[in-house]
Amino acid sequence: MQKALFRKRNSAADSLAAGHGKHSLWKNTRQNKTLLFMCLPAILFFIAFSYIPMPYSYIAFTKFNYIKGIFGSPFVGFKNFAFLFRSGQLTLLLRNTILFNLAFILLGNFFQIAFAILLNEVQSKRFKKIAQSMMFLPYFISPVLVSLLVYNLINYDYGFISSLVRSWGGAMPKLYSQPSAWPFIIVAVNLWQTTGYGTVIYFAAITSIDESMIEAATVDGANGFQRIRYIMLPSLKPTVVILLLFAMGGIIRGNFGLFYNLVGNNSVLFSTTDIIETYVYRALMNNFNFSQGSAVGLFQSVVGFGIVMVANTVVRHIEPDYALF
Amino acid sequence: MKKTNAGKYHHLKLDWSDRTIRGFTYVFVGIFAIVCIIPFWLIVSSSFSDENAIRRTGFALWPPEISLRSYNLILQNPDLLIGSYIVTILLTVIGTLIGLFVISMTGYALQRKDFQLRNKISFFIYFTSLFTAGLVPFYYVIVKIYGLKDSYFAVLLPLLMNPWLIILMKNFVKAIPHEITESGKIDGAGDFTIFYKLIVPSMTPALATIGLFVALGYWNEWYFSSLFLTTIVKYRPLQYHLYNIVNTVASLKNSVASTNVVIQDLPAETLKMATAVLATGPIIFAYPFVQKYFVAGLTVGAVKG
Amino acid sequence: MKKLVSLLMVLAMLLSLAPAAFAETATTDYSDWFPGVDTSEHVVITMLVTGNVPTNKTDEVLTVFNEKLTEAINAELQIQWIEWADWQTKYQLALAMQDGSIDLVGTATDWLYAWDNARNGGFLALSDEMLQTYCPKTYASVSQEHWDMCKYDGEIYFAPEDNYAQWTNHGFMYRGDWATAAGIENGDINSWEELGVYFQYIKDTYPDVVPWDADGSGSSYSPQVAGGYMTDKIGLVAVEGLPVSLFYGTKDDPYTLSRCFLEGDTLVNFAIQQKAWADAGYWREDVLNYTGDQKDLLRAGLSGAYQHHTQTWRTERTKMEAKQPGSDLRFYWFGEESDSLVSLNITHGAMAVAGQSKNPERALMVYDLIRNDPTFYDLFNYGIEGEQYIVVDGFLARPDTYKDDSTDGVSFNYWWGRNDDLEIRNSEVDWDAYDALVAEEYDPVKIDYPYGKVVFDTDPISIELDNVTNVYNTYMPVITFGKCEDPEAYVAEFRQALQDAGIETVMTEVQSQIDAVYGD
Repeated sequence: MQKALFRKRNSAADSLAAGHGKHSLWKNTRQNKTLLFMCLPAILFFIAFSYIPMPYSYIAFTKFNYIKGIFGSPFVGFKNFAFLFRSGQLTLLLRNTILFNLAFILLGNFFQIAFAILLNEVQSKRFKKIAQSMMFLPYFISPVLVSLLVYNLINYDYGFISSLVRSWGGAMPKLYSQPSAWPFIIVAVNLWQTTGYGTVIYFAAITSIDESMIEAATVDGANGFQRIRYIMLPSLKPTVVILLLFAMGGIIRGNFGLFYNLVGNNSVLFSTTDIIETYVYRALMNNFNFSQGSAVGLFQSVVGFGIVMVANTVVRHIEPDYALF
Repeated sequence: MKKTNAGKYHHLKLDWSDRTIRGFTYVFVGIFAIVCIIPFWLIVSSSFSDENAIRRTGFALWPPEISLRSYNLILQNPDLLIGSYIVTILLTVIGTLIGLFVISMTGYALQRKDFQLRNKISFFIYFTSLFTAGLVPFYYVIVKIYGLKDSYFAVLLPLLMNPWLIILMKNFVKAIPHEITESGKIDGAGDFTIFYKLIVPSMTPALATIGLFVALGYWNEWYFSSLFLTTIVKYRPLQYHLYNIVNTVASLKNSVASTNVVIQDLPAETLKMATAVLATGPIIFAYPFVQKYFVAGLTVGAVKG
Repeated sequence: MKKLVSLLMVLAMLLSLAPAAFAETATTDYSDWFPGVDTSEHVVITMLVTGNVPTNKTDEVLTVFNEKLTEAINAELQIQWIEWADWQTKYQLALAMQDGSIDLVGTATDWLYAWDNARNGGFLALSDEMLQTYCPKTYASVSQEHWDMCKYDGEIYFAPEDNYAQWTNHGFMYRGDWATAAGIENGDINSWEELGVYFQYIKDTYPDVVPWDADGSGSSYSPQVAGGYMTDKIGLVAVEGLPVSLFYGTKDDPYTLSRCFLEGDTLVNFAIQQKAWADAGYWREDVLNYTGDQKDLLRAGLSGAYQHHTQTWRTERTKMEAKQPGSDLRFYWFGEESDSLVSLNITHGAMAVAGQSKNPERALMVYDLIRNDPTFYDLFNYGIEGEQYIVVDGFLARPDTYKDDSTDGVSFNYWWGRNDDLEIRNSEVDWDAYDALVAEEYDPVKIDYPYGKVVFDTDPISIELDNVTNVYNTYMPVITFGKCEDPEAYVAEFRQALQDAGIETVMTEVQSQIDAVYGD
């Protein structure tokens, strides 16, 4: 039912888009030159702030000399990449980075969608407003303060939760010495910080759903659960796919602030919490080296790019409408 | 033009499934909301605490001993704080207006199926989120080529838009039926006029959402400030002000500097908290304000009629 | 007629002298200081300094300073602060851009990347002629041997702070009153064993006090505490200029690298001791993530020790007497057990000129004045007389209007060229205790920093160094705070990890670079 409605709606546009070959591309562009001009500010922006700096990432292949500048500095090939590959840690770092990102993306989106749908069902405007504002708050708290809060909650000697557990006669585990607890703790903190923020997107998408469709379904006898399952969720699918595809590009990039502040120097926890960014920071902390830092960034860019290209091609074969490009 | 809310079907009968869903919502969302606010409450409470009282035992829901010392310290020299506020508000308002305008305009153009160039342009924009040149190239270009060091433009310009928001906007606009554009074309209007007069009014939830994100990007920004606004600039954005205070201690301890440098007055815990409260406070009220724009726009009915 | 002529001649002479006479009394003449230098163009010199932007009276003092500076050499000083948050990145970026906006750069070879910048073009090479002309008093006061220690590839790159007695050797500050009560002789801790007794006493007697409430979240404890222990037991001398603290000579044979971190019992004993102390509760359970401030805790009477260096102790002692009367804060310095102590490297603080500075000559002149002229020195270091300070009996004291450092003080963070000849001792410091420490304990055993002439080239070993640094930063905090299950096994694991990261390659290379300069 859903797909049929969509198809009917857009058939007029489809017929407009039909054309063959290069000749019609040029013609089409000239016809739509206003549209092109409307895209121009954005295009200029990205040229200025993203494309022009790109050639300078050549710094990753040089031994940077300040007076000679980036292009005048001596070329050293892949030497700057070597330290990450020869550390023996790369597998562990990649595993942690990717697994955490998957958890953040999958669980994050799940809760965001769930909350958006649930909130939409509730009648009380006041509840919606207050709940959403409260959920939004954690987003504003800087990582340093977050780690301070977490410490105050779970530290063994004087933590808020520790005191509670002991007053009930329980035994508090030494969480800061237990690597196995931290994937859960970090994912929980991340969810706590970002769910409110992400719910907004889905909430906006839901309010865009045509009301008559929902009314029609209800008149047809659909109950609450069926409404959610057959109308809301499918309508959100395009948004979900886009957000997921986008997230793929950053799958081997980590949120440095979060990990660095929560874990700090506690190397007992590194086996389950160390990501590429924190490792690089520790290695280069006193041996400051712009070229090596840039090399790691370049490596992450290339891998992210590869992953997205693959994912997008897959999506394009299944449902071309949902592909990013 | 009829404005309706997708949730307003209460005139229909409520059955058991609706009630279950609602009950479930109140419980779970309620608990989560409380979990979100407790840490914030702890921060506020400790900002009003006496330093020594919380030093050993950490934070509490209610200050063991109330003291306004931190706030006094900050407000004693309000000049910097007020300047930071003004700078941040100006940047946020100007940046959001310009950014939102460009993003929505681009988002509309890119979802027009009759615009054949759209996929190439989309990819052009999207590619920048995959490949980042890195800190040094970006810094080099902004400082040496554009000469924007110590200029507020170094903060305003890079935050105007990003690929994620443009693509998200494109996705939102896709939901608006193409008939609206068509009817505009039939009436003889150009693409921009159609965009401005017909499409924009029906995408208020999208505008509110993306606008909120752009605004938050400006409000929370400290990274570009820290890179490009040196101390020659007197008033720097609010979050950077806070970042400095909160991170000074951490930065010193984690480096060789601490071996050699004696800093007399490192900020106390309560001072960090008080600064956090003052820096974050106002924006919290932005969300409820924006909330009322989450109403659906045009319906198909209006177009057909 | 003759009388008239001679009268006219006298008048002419007087007239020719008059302007000079006026000039003499109106302003101080610096043309003798910098003979033959043209100062007709007004110039603004920017100095790069680390620190947070001061919110006290620094700006006011700078205005007065600049008035005098304009009169003297027609120049003005502007400060660009590198704030502490992310200071490493910001400092390096500022120097990497070389856009001509910076003239003077505060630097140091042990913590502010001085050699990196000398090599990479961040600093300007200063020729002897340049220094003689524009920085004459400094050039004359620094010995040729000391200038040699500021050279890379035969060129001088910065002026060292070599006429300022400073002790930044690390150790534990502890309370003399509690140490005496603990039964330690004279309340004077002289060994790690006695330190343990002291901690145990606090644990037993004061249940609310953490003996050493350390904030293990910082990474600086590993080199300080671990290095300190090793120095005490086997007399180590630290080699500076490398990014990780694994390179030491011994005081008997400084030019051979010690292998104490790679083999031997000392490190194992340290790990075992620290584990025992952790288990005994001398610091918090979750110490590695704790961010409390040692200094504040000590002053509040909630902690019994503070680990830092002599300079800090000097200031802290007085503050402690005010906050915890009778505490008698003393200092147990690392190396006391084996009488090993190294004087501070003269390039611990230094002033350089930026590579693309637009006015290097005037910049050097400003530095020379700050470093050697009492008027400018006092303004820069102490402030305006009568407002920030007054001199009483040859000591620096605070006027009644002065409330607090953070509101009325001056902070230029001038650590690049202080001068003992012009220093005024602060009356708030317990000079008797400090002088006694230096004279009785330091001077008899100190040696000069032995590696001043070596500028390490880390390129051939940069990969191994990065990975070794990471291994060190992973294992050492755990060893230092005793958070491992089995210390012996953990140290063995640490040593193996070092080997895997390539420590032997690094050691060989470092040793050969030392031999190249100091070899037989």
